[in-house]
Amino acid sequence: MRTVADTSRNWHRGRRTFARAFAVSATLTILSTLAAQVAWAQAPTPNGTLGDTTRALHLLRRATYGVRPQDLAEALDLGPEAWLERQLSPERIDDSALEERLATFPAAEMTVSELYEAYPPPRVVRARLGDPDSVSRDEMRRMRRELGIHSPNRILFDLAGAKLVRAVDSERQLEEVMTDFWFNHFNVFFAKGPDRWLIGDYEREAIRPYVFGEFEDMLIATASHPAMLVYLDNWQSQVPDSLNPRAAQQQRARSRFQNMSAREREVVLRMRGVPEEQIARIEEAMKRQTGRERGLNENYARELLELHTLGVDGGYTQEDVIEVARAFTGWTMQLPSRGDGTARRERGGRNRGEGMGSDGSASAGEFLFRAEWHDPGEKTVLGRSLPAGRGIEDGLDVLRMLAVHPSTARHIVTNLAEAFVADDPPPALVDELAAVFLETRGDLREVTRALFTSEVFNDPANIGGKLKTPFELVASALRVTGAEFGPSRGLAEQLRALDQIPYMSSPPTGYPAESEEWASGAALLQRMNLGLAMATGGIQNVRIPGSLSQQPVDRMLSDLLPGSGTTALRDVIETEIRSNFAGLAGALGELRYGAGPNELALGLALGSPEFQHR
Amino acid sequence: MRPINRRIFLKQGAVGLVAIGMPPAFLTRTLLAETRSVGRQKTVVFIFQRGAVDGLNMVVPFEEKAYYRVRRSIAVPQPSRGDGRSAIDLDGFFGLHPSLRSLHDLYRKGELAILHASGSPHPTRSHFDAQDFMESGTPGVKSTRDGWMNRLMTENACSCAGRTLADGAAHSADHASGQVGLAESSPLRGVAMGAEMPRALRGSYPTVAIADLERFGIAGGRSPELESVFERMYRSEEDDLIAGAAGDSFEAIELIRRTDPLQYRPRAGVDYPRGDFGRSLQQIAQLIKADVGLEVAFTDIGGWDTHLAQGGAQGQLANRLTELGIGIRAFHDDLGDRIEDVVVITMSEFGRTAAENGSGGTDHGHGNCMLILGGATAGGRVLGSWPGLEREQLYEGRDLAITTDFRDAFAEVVSGHLGAEKLERVFPGYRVDPSSFVGVLG
Repeated sequence: MRTVADTSRNWHRGRRTFARAFAVSATLTILSTLAAQVAWAQAPTPNGTLGDTTRALHLLRRATYGVRPQDLAEALDLGPEAWLERQLSPERIDDSALEERLATFPAAEMTVSELYEAYPPPRVVRARLGDPDSVSRDEMRRMRRELGIHSPNRILFDLAGAKLVRAVDSERQLEEVMTDFWFNHFNVFFAKGPDRWLIGDYEREAIRPYVFGEFEDMLIATASHPAMLVYLDNWQSQVPDSLNPRAAQQQRARSRFQNMSAREREVVLRMRGVPEEQIARIEEAMKRQTGRERGLNENYARELLELHTLGVDGGYTQEDVIEVARAFTGWTMQLPSRGDGTARRERGGRNRGEGMGSDGSASAGEFLFRAEWHDPGEKTVLGRSLPAGRGIEDGLDVLRMLAVHPSTARHIVTNLAEAFVADDPPPALVDELAAVFLETRGDLREVTRALFTSEVFNDPANIGGKLKTPFELVASALRVTGAEFGPSRGLAEQLRALDQIPYMSSPPTGYPAESEEWASGAALLQRMNLGLAMATGGIQNVRIPGSLSQQPVDRMLSDLLPGSGTTALRDVIETEIRSNFAGLAGALGELRYGAGPNELALGLALGSPEFQHR
Repeated sequence: MRPINRRIFLKQGAVGLVAIGMPPAFLTRTLLAETRSVGRQKTVVFIFQRGAVDGLNMVVPFEEKAYYRVRRSIAVPQPSRGDGRSAIDLDGFFGLHPSLRSLHDLYRKGELAILHASGSPHPTRSHFDAQDFMESGTPGVKSTRDGWMNRLMTENACSCAGRTLADGAAHSADHASGQVGLAESSPLRGVAMGAEMPRALRGSYPTVAIADLERFGIAGGRSPELESVFERMYRSEEDDLIAGAAGDSFEAIELIRRTDPLQYRPRAGVDYPRGDFGRSLQQIAQLIKADVGLEVAFTDIGGWDTHLAQGGAQGQLANRLTELGIGIRAFHDDLGDRIEDVVVITMSEFGRTAAENGSGGTDHGHGNCMLILGGATAGGRVLGSWPGLEREQLYEGRDLAITTDFRDAFAEVVSGHLGAEKLERVFPGYRVDPSSFVGVLG
């Protein structure tokens, strides 16, 4: 099983970068802006002035997962402001059609205990097989089939699939976009310990309800969710035994047990009626734990300050990190089932979460404050004293203090501006939004409204310059082509090759929002390949309706990139296909993609630089 | 002639070329167009252990009493012969983690050196900032726009500076006459293995990220025709960021097609570990053997952020070290005598706390340890001055102190092995002082 340090994706590549674009010189910006405006001037503007079209299109490109002609028409019909207002109250937008689509990805909608039932840890399967030392993959597969259960890794497939369905089909586009942003801000990692069973619940319960709510509520919800407690290790951070008389006593009892020989332990456990298959596992755990003294873990405290709230330059010290970690001692959870690489028994043969896999006990995997693990001493955080002798209030006070701190305001709105305005957001925008954040005490509906209506957002310099993230690219390609798609290994493979599998960012920064981070040559080649594959039937279970590709190239382009200038792109595509179709299609044929001239044209368009921007 | 590399043109222009001493690379690329090999080239391979490896367990100070006092459950035991569960004695004081046993005889043969208590002097314990600083080469300065390895290539590009675009023919003649190597013009001079370009290699000098050589290109590298269509589209793209990155990749694809590095299979008996790290090293070896002009290669390996249950001689960290050690060893053996031209150096953003934390792991610390290997290495020694692990010897009372600045270690390797100059521009704001070099290359 995977563990803390297991990363299918590396601590990745200098994520935080201060080397924004070696890009766009002022001249080029002006040139491209002019070009864009000329293009829009040429585009049909049935329901509005030039300004309206530009603004509506820009808003849609940033606040949705892809602009279809009908989206542009709707936004022009309502006007950009009214469109935004509607999106800011997603509960009033009917989205019932989505439910049927989501049913294709059942794991994404299940509760934690339902997931443990239907996608149990491998050890549960092994136990059914009599708990042999090793079980081959085939045996495991056969057993799962017989039991009507699936591998836990399948959960990821459904979660990513459901996220794509929502991105493509939800009428509540802004809610989807912001859920992605905030999940990423409070990132957790599917492959860390039991998070695979918890992560869907985390997004559903700790992120989505608050994207237009209070930042403080989201902060508390994430801090206390088991997925975060596992991801940043706080679930087992506790007052060091040496400072805690009660724990010291327990430690001594543990030591006596540890100091027995394995044989003696076995006898004791048998006397207590512990089942045979558990005894061996307890013995393994003892070997791992010998001599370990429990205590503080700084991981959550540091990321809380650096990433979730104040920002790395937000004015905290190493001493603050330790004090915050002390404040969160005892914030833990009912242990979910074992066999996941992190959860472990507390004492002897007792394992509170043992029932998770077999009886689906509802309380397992839930937040728990353990007073006996909490450091009761006085603490000082950012100069403010937290009195001695308290419990969960320490952590809550820290969160409330951080939620409305001026550094938090600046850090949060800077991240928003990087994601939705420009890699290097103008300081004036940060000031403006930080003021809104502080005045409204972190009301995220107000902050989001201010973001998308600010003058800086609508500044021509900020139009069209953001590179789509890989997920945004895949979602937008599916959305604007009206592709039919179901559960698809091929789509999962594309997201992997583009290096952005949802829920699989191992570092706590999540995936980067800056264009530069996604602009390597290797990544761009992969984007071109994605376009070709999608257009020519090269991705399993994805089908683009013929009606799109059967149109003349310029009509097709105006469906893909409504309101944008596509003359140059059309010329390249038409010329190349006319002069060398056989040569171009040859390699695709070897890959068994079905490419006629129309499909090839669509593939080139989806792989074009124009389609990579938003 | 191939289209001019638009990126260089836009960024430097003819004036810039002279001012920066940058070669009009495209001129020499016309010479490369016919060649099947750029020629033998010295290479430095950087391996970034992202997440902050626990250097005190990677190379264990087993004679430090404090080590065993503060690491009760995760210490690697003192050497005891051949049980595979204790440190491997290097010099009577330090020992290799037993999972690195594949590297031990390289140490004995003098091909592997250890540099302990090294790293960045900046106090940050943020992964993101610390990685950024180690890649920008400017600890504490966040506004640095390019990576130090990119500046290394810019500052040490071909020495025929002074030629202008108007001197194109004469300039080409410099190269043709062999006065200047072709390698400085290779589109594969700086390569990162991976889908994304690491910060260290970003900047105005064209570098390439390659996720997998076997599939580098359009339609699995099978279609030069489709590549040329996309190349046209991207070269006329107004967003210089992606126009440049794509253009550099198309040039790299072309050279790869001509030199065919994939024809070089690993030597018999060499097994790279499965996974991205092993594949990256194998493909770097293929590029070296194909003489494509590779000078700076970069790859990374994650999984080092062991806050929880990291284990001692066995366990989580041990498993990661096994992959690292076997990978480096396979790379060494695969290269055969070409290892003479290569130096491999590991880096990690900071070390971890001297003491274990409350969960059998370690938290973010300061000083760390680097492995340096290759034919030019004066190995068989643990280098650097050892500050000790007693409380008063620790940085801020908790972490291994730093006695060698990472910039000195890198500067020594790139100047000694690649002949790099202008180190003050590679590491701006830092006075590189050869007298403080620890003697990595003897």
